[in-house]
Amino acid sequence: MKKEALFKKMSGSQEIVLTLVLILLCVIIQIKSPSFLTMTSINDMLKNNAVIMLLALGMLCVLLVGGIDISVTSTSALSGMIVGLLLKYNIIENTLVLFLIAIGVGCICGVLIGVIISKGKVPPIIATMGFMYIYRGLAYVLSNNQWASAADLGNFKNFALGKFLGINNVILIAVISYIIFFVVMKWTAYGRKIYAVGSNSEAAAISGINAALIKLTVYTIMGGLCGLGGALAVSVYSSAQPNMMYGQEMNVIAACVIGGVSMNGGRGSVQGVLIGALMMAVINKALPLVGIDSIAQNTVQGAIIMVVIVLNVLMQRSTFKNSLKRREM
Amino acid sequence: MAGKSGRNISAEPQNSLKNTVFSWEGILVLIFIAVNVFCAFLSPNYKITNILREMPKYLAEIFIMFPMVYVLVMGDIDISVGSIVCLSATLACMASNAGVPLLVVLPLCLAIATICGLINGLILTKFQELPAMIVTLATQIVFRGIAEIALGSGGSISLSSTKDFKILAGKIGPVPYVFILVAIIAVVFALILARTSFGRKLYAIGSNSETARYSGIHVQKIRLIIYTLTGFMAGVCAVFLTSVLYGANTTTGSGFEMDVIAMAVFGGVSTAGGKGKMIGAVISAFIITCLRIGLGLINVNSQIILIILGALLIIAVLLPNIAALINNMKKMAAKRAA
Amino acid sequence: MSGYILELQGITKIFPGVKALNNVRFQLKPGEIHALMGENGAGKSTFIKVITGVHKAEEGKIYLEGKEVDFKGPKEAQAAGIAAIYQHVTSYPDLTVTENIFMGHELKKNGILQWKSMNRDARKLLEQLDADFSETDEMGTLSVAQQQMVEIAKALSTNARIIIMDEPTAALTKNESEKLYTITEKLRDEGNSIIFISHRFEDMYRLASKVTVFRDSQYIGSYDVDSITESDLIKAMVGREITELFPKAKLKIGEELLKVKGLTRTGYFKDISFHVRKGEIIGLTGLVGAGRTETVETIFGITKKDSGEIYMEGNKVTIKEPSDAMELGIALLPEDRQKSGLILSWGLGRNVTLPTLGNYVSNGILDEKKERDASKKYLEEVDTKAVSIHDPASSLSGGNQQKVVVAKTLAQDLKVIIMDEPTKGVDVGAKAEIYAIMGQLAEKGFGVVLISSEMPEILGLCDRVYVMCNGRITGEFSAEEVTQERILELSMEKTKSSSTENKKGEVV
Repeated sequence: MKKEALFKKMSGSQEIVLTLVLILLCVIIQIKSPSFLTMTSINDMLKNNAVIMLLALGMLCVLLVGGIDISVTSTSALSGMIVGLLLKYNIIENTLVLFLIAIGVGCICGVLIGVIISKGKVPPIIATMGFMYIYRGLAYVLSNNQWASAADLGNFKNFALGKFLGINNVILIAVISYIIFFVVMKWTAYGRKIYAVGSNSEAAAISGINAALIKLTVYTIMGGLCGLGGALAVSVYSSAQPNMMYGQEMNVIAACVIGGVSMNGGRGSVQGVLIGALMMAVINKALPLVGIDSIAQNTVQGAIIMVVIVLNVLMQRSTFKNSLKRREM
Repeated sequence: MAGKSGRNISAEPQNSLKNTVFSWEGILVLIFIAVNVFCAFLSPNYKITNILREMPKYLAEIFIMFPMVYVLVMGDIDISVGSIVCLSATLACMASNAGVPLLVVLPLCLAIATICGLINGLILTKFQELPAMIVTLATQIVFRGIAEIALGSGGSISLSSTKDFKILAGKIGPVPYVFILVAIIAVVFALILARTSFGRKLYAIGSNSETARYSGIHVQKIRLIIYTLTGFMAGVCAVFLTSVLYGANTTTGSGFEMDVIAMAVFGGVSTAGGKGKMIGAVISAFIITCLRIGLGLINVNSQIILIILGALLIIAVLLPNIAALINNMKKMAAKRAA
Repeated sequence: MSGYILELQGITKIFPGVKALNNVRFQLKPGEIHALMGENGAGKSTFIKVITGVHKAEEGKIYLEGKEVDFKGPKEAQAAGIAAIYQHVTSYPDLTVTENIFMGHELKKNGILQWKSMNRDARKLLEQLDADFSETDEMGTLSVAQQQMVEIAKALSTNARIIIMDEPTAALTKNESEKLYTITEKLRDEGNSIIFISHRFEDMYRLASKVTVFRDSQYIGSYDVDSITESDLIKAMVGREITELFPKAKLKIGEELLKVKGLTRTGYFKDISFHVRKGEIIGLTGLVGAGRTETVETIFGITKKDSGEIYMEGNKVTIKEPSDAMELGIALLPEDRQKSGLILSWGLGRNVTLPTLGNYVSNGILDEKKERDASKKYLEEVDTKAVSIHDPASSLSGGNQQKVVVAKTLAQDLKVIIMDEPTKGVDVGAKAEIYAIMGQLAEKGFGVVLISSEMPEILGLCDRVYVMCNGRITGEFSAEEVTQERILELSMEKTKSSSTENKKGEVV
């Protein structure tokens, strides 16, 4: 226990380190490409990454309880596809209703996953691996190999262009979500229970915390956020296709890993995820500037995840070694 | 040093015919028969000649299932196998198109795949603090990413000459080479797991790796070997896959990890480690393969097949848990009635 | 009605196939410290779980302050003022002390957590307990003794009036145990009633006024601590007289087997040197945390040394992995038999043959009949109480499990056996049998290294005793010169803060 404990004490400052690195990155990019820090550029970057950032919030909670969810983009695709089809065949056109439906679909997807994991005791990697294919397959089957193009989407696609109180709608939704999650995770019993379950699920059970219920709600929330994200993606990219966001679940996990969320549960914060997500967005923008083609984006992402987790281990070991030296024998 | 009480402990073997027939493996055999009956019912084309003709396409990935059973029995996991297949198949195609003869391309493909497996193994054994799921999730992205870079903007590559690889797709009578090879390898892997001390050590590591270590087992060395072996078999898969598909693209091999884990788990191998037999996984692999061929013959959408496989994976893990739950509820009810 | 704060009558608890409690009773007076003793498997832990509402008894009644109660779960028991502190601290390592104390009953206003008030209350509780850490510290950074204190604070924060402690001193040093005794007495003086389970008679004599004994799931009796003799108490716990606890044979001591010189592992132990000869039983004693287990784990190859040398029969050897040690004839019985000594889901037979699988291989294939016969032989040699070699290891009692681990060790080609706390959590009956085995091993010419914190074992079994303190060897005694006082003196850290004076003005 001692070994891990020292590491954890040290990673609290990880957020400070990350913020500094982020600022450094932005400065370097700004020097190389002066148009980086303009309002439009930042606006675009945030808009394009809003969906990933939203999903990362849900992933934070999932990782905190010691789980994982690699089906997130499939759930988003399914919800987005349903929205697209409803618009294409003029069944429903009200933007608010469509968003609610998307969130509803996402929640149902999430509840299913949550039940299988918490009641069925199926390991999260297995369960979400299966659902990744099930939900993606459903998206394809429903679409029957058809898209919903910009023309089909009518007024819905304007949502992503609209503003409220001077801020782009999509970005606003992301900001509000982050604020809500920040408050819930730090200031409500529910939020702390999520940390408790991830930190020590046996202790949680003895404390009378219903770990299974907490996990179920966490996966449901994840699903709901995926639904919201799917609908937003349809609006932002003005199209609904069954292969939407294919492969991007790694972006979501990467944002969390970089943001200091522990893969073992119990550690991580909303602010960390925010920094991690911004970092990923900035890095992706910076790649072409350093001459790395966007085709290498995935490789770079995977490499970054690997480097971050290995670095964490190395730092943990070195801190531990130092504490050993301090023990006088 | 005889005990004081002179107690006699029984050392009789535990196996019996009843155990075998009513075991999960026995049930799998029944399911296999049922599936074949079902498929024959679906289409008159479901006959041996057609089955054998369609099989090579699906058999390639079974090569990965054998080491995956070892990985799962050890209590580990490897979700990068599909990407290793993609990378080695891509580079093999590129080499072949560049004029490299088959006799060099084959070992090259195997070598690349083995190195990928070795990378997995080295990271996991040098940094034991990292969970296998995360590490292989990361390498999955990197391996496939490298393939994406190699494939360029086109995203795919076709063999300019299929003459070389066609050799591998040959047959002896109606039986394809790959079928024979899978059968041989299945027997070898099964024997090693069930009857040798190496196999016993795998079970020990999966049940309690600390006790295994204190009992003198080189846990990390064995992990390294198994992950490298997994890479190697992914290379074998890549070779035979290319002999059927005559090319590779960015989605080659995607989903293979789910397929083989589903086969293993449906076959009775537990993801928690320490449980399961190779024979079960093999029967289960053939159940799934026959199902795929049968559904394919009536032109069922490939996406629907993926949905079925995803559901099968979950059901396979869910079933024993639900059985245990029902058992507990029965006991509770019996107690209340008593 | 009765003068008891807690009373249980006719409690029977059945698990599938096992009667864990058979018509037991118990009475606790207010302001009393009451010890609950008995062999492993006697039913003590199950009983505690019935009191705290974790288990529901099939038969029997519970009375709290004269009124019958029926707890539907641990939360109800907690609300009624009953709190338990278990041996294995269940806490949240990533969360702060405050959060750990208040988890499940946080202070809220309109759903918002009141961190300021909780931190303040937590600080007050910690001051009450004279804690040397802060409420904002992360639980994972605290020592075992400190975490236990947080558990006590947790119990106090729920306004518990009945506090139950399960083996509270098992993982504590002498100083920490003293602190715990003081806290426990203070709690009693403040009007709380305390039940504690312990295998240590010193705990009982120091704290308790009454002791209740369970044996084989049954209530044997309740006695005044002042009036019952230790041997009568043991008889009640075991059901028979334990006379010859330790083998008396004095044996011929042969040449040197294992020698360790200047062994060091930074942060764990420094400059360790000792040796063991044929036919010798040497003791390695000291307080919990002195570095004994770490030392032998390095010798056995589990961890790496930073400097020093190991010699086997005069030859310098390199040990990098446990298999290296085993090849040299060194075996280790690990401290935690369930975690590192056995595979609980496996049958006894396969556990025994695990380190020596190579012996049963012919033509690459395992000869299962040879394996079964061999495991039967070794299990019978140590008199394991089991029906078949296929019995799962999890179904055995602590003492029997330890015997299986011993059998596993004996199956190897050995010269030196290192036993780390072999009788921890083992009932008195099985202890005697294990001592007999150790004596037989010495008789046969093996070298035995015994790590133990129990004085009687060290004094009764060993030919020579090494004392460790804070990672160093502080002393070596022969059987004739060793005394409990000398061991204790050398086991303690020589810092001013940890020494206290007893009534005679001597530094203890």
